[in-house]
Amino acid sequence: MELVLFNLANGLIVGAFYVLMALGLSLIINLSNVVNFAHGNFLAIGGYLAFTLTPYIGFWGALLVSPLLTAVFGYFIEQVLIRHVYARNHIYSLLLTFGLGFILQDVCRFIWGPSPLPLGIPDILSLPITEELFFITWYRVFMVAVVIVAVSGLFAFLRFTRVGMRIRAGTLDLDTVSALGVNVAALRSYNFAVGSFLAGLAGVLAAGQIGLNPNMGDDLIMPSFIAIIVGGVGSLTGTLLGGLLIGVAAALTTVFYPAGAEAVIYVIMAIVLLIRPRGLLGEEGMLT
Amino acid sequence: MNAIEVSGLNTFYGKSHILHDVSLFAAEGSVTTLLGRNGAGKSTTMRSIMGLTPARSGSVKVFGKDSTKMAPYQVARLGVGYVPEGRRVFPNLTVEDNLKVPQGETGPFDIPRIYGLFPRLEERKMNLGRQLSGGEQEMLSIARALLLNPKVLILDEPSQGLAPLIVKDVFRIVTSMKAEGISVLIVEQNVRMTLEIADTAYVLDHGVVVHHGPAAALAADEALIQSLAGASAEEWDLDKA
Repeated sequence: MELVLFNLANGLIVGAFYVLMALGLSLIINLSNVVNFAHGNFLAIGGYLAFTLTPYIGFWGALLVSPLLTAVFGYFIEQVLIRHVYARNHIYSLLLTFGLGFILQDVCRFIWGPSPLPLGIPDILSLPITEELFFITWYRVFMVAVVIVAVSGLFAFLRFTRVGMRIRAGTLDLDTVSALGVNVAALRSYNFAVGSFLAGLAGVLAAGQIGLNPNMGDDLIMPSFIAIIVGGVGSLTGTLLGGLLIGVAAALTTVFYPAGAEAVIYVIMAIVLLIRPRGLLGEEGMLT
Repeated sequence: MNAIEVSGLNTFYGKSHILHDVSLFAAEGSVTTLLGRNGAGKSTTMRSIMGLTPARSGSVKVFGKDSTKMAPYQVARLGVGYVPEGRRVFPNLTVEDNLKVPQGETGPFDIPRIYGLFPRLEERKMNLGRQLSGGEQEMLSIARALLLNPKVLILDEPSQGLAPLIVKDVFRIVTSMKAEGISVLIVEQNVRMTLEIADTAYVLDHGVVVHHGPAAALAADEALIQSLAGASAEEWDLDKA
């Protein structure tokens, strides 16, 4: 029983993490129709920036500043590279971001070296929450809390600000948003920056748990894509649901059939797509 | 001055040539209509004016300013309110949020005034765009364009798919815009009703302007209407008037 509880808690934590990653990806897919294969590398950059910043501004400072810098970096990349392929066939953006991912990975290797690095976290966070629940450290609780704050902040931003409304409107009909006087090129840049911010934040959180290495994002990006597909492209609530679902499913499978833990998320995706091709909460007509 | 001045427009969808040297003028302070059958190129003309389907050659001027190469949002900011074909309300946003999307000049139209003009929209302000009836969606689409405080309003088939009673409401609103000092360019298939409110009429067929002149003259000339409509006169909804 304890094992099941442990894995359930673990699954929710991992799921929360996928959610953070997948929401950033989802935002960019929704407004720009670009599947950003370099998203995992934005995550790594966020983590490494925190590593460099921590000695100067501490972990708490880096937790905020590093995602902001990742957002600025994302904004720059969108301006210089990504926006030039919006009008083209999907294959261009796939190849561009795929290649960009490799370049960013090598940039990390060049600057910070190929060996794994630890990110120092405050001592309080490395303690277990109680003696019975020795397997859950405060850091894991903290991660979930940060994800909750970030996700609530994102949803409030999209729901209550005019920029957020324009982003939601543009998800389904960018032409009409543009015809209503909104500079959609700028809107896409801001949106890309917000997505990059979430990747950077995920990077800092991941680095505190598993440490840093140049391809740390690789294992996280595939589950994030699956979270989006399961939840339904075009729906951020769907992405949220999808991330938690596959996190918990993978963790619980570990208890009963450890060998299937990796495969189960693909099985879930296949089942969802068979029953409901546009995903659990997907908008009709997205990505066509 | 002309609110909108289109000269020698040629527009393509891929390889198909849709508009052939289309020229039209929408005088400031008046209602200009562009009539024609389905597929004549009316909506494409509007999309080319807005920069949504940029023209390959020719020019568009909005209040004397060359907007041919502008992005849609830049055209909108010259004072053009666009009510697209099929209304295109944002289905995933509430009515109120739909009204907060436009980004334009401040002026006589703000959200409280819009609710005064369209009480039905205020009643439904928390409903999603997709939950509205066709008539409500049309109101919302017009309201959204008015919030840009435009100097010229472009309406693309506002009567499409609406019950005759609602169509009358929509046309009443369009007429009242003229009193607000807003120029109007309206695309329609509902010929009779449109000619009643328009000052100038253009007729488009197969991407070519085949007639232009005072709306009243066209309205009086049944034979001309029939000949311009050709075999598909029925599509013009003559009996709806």
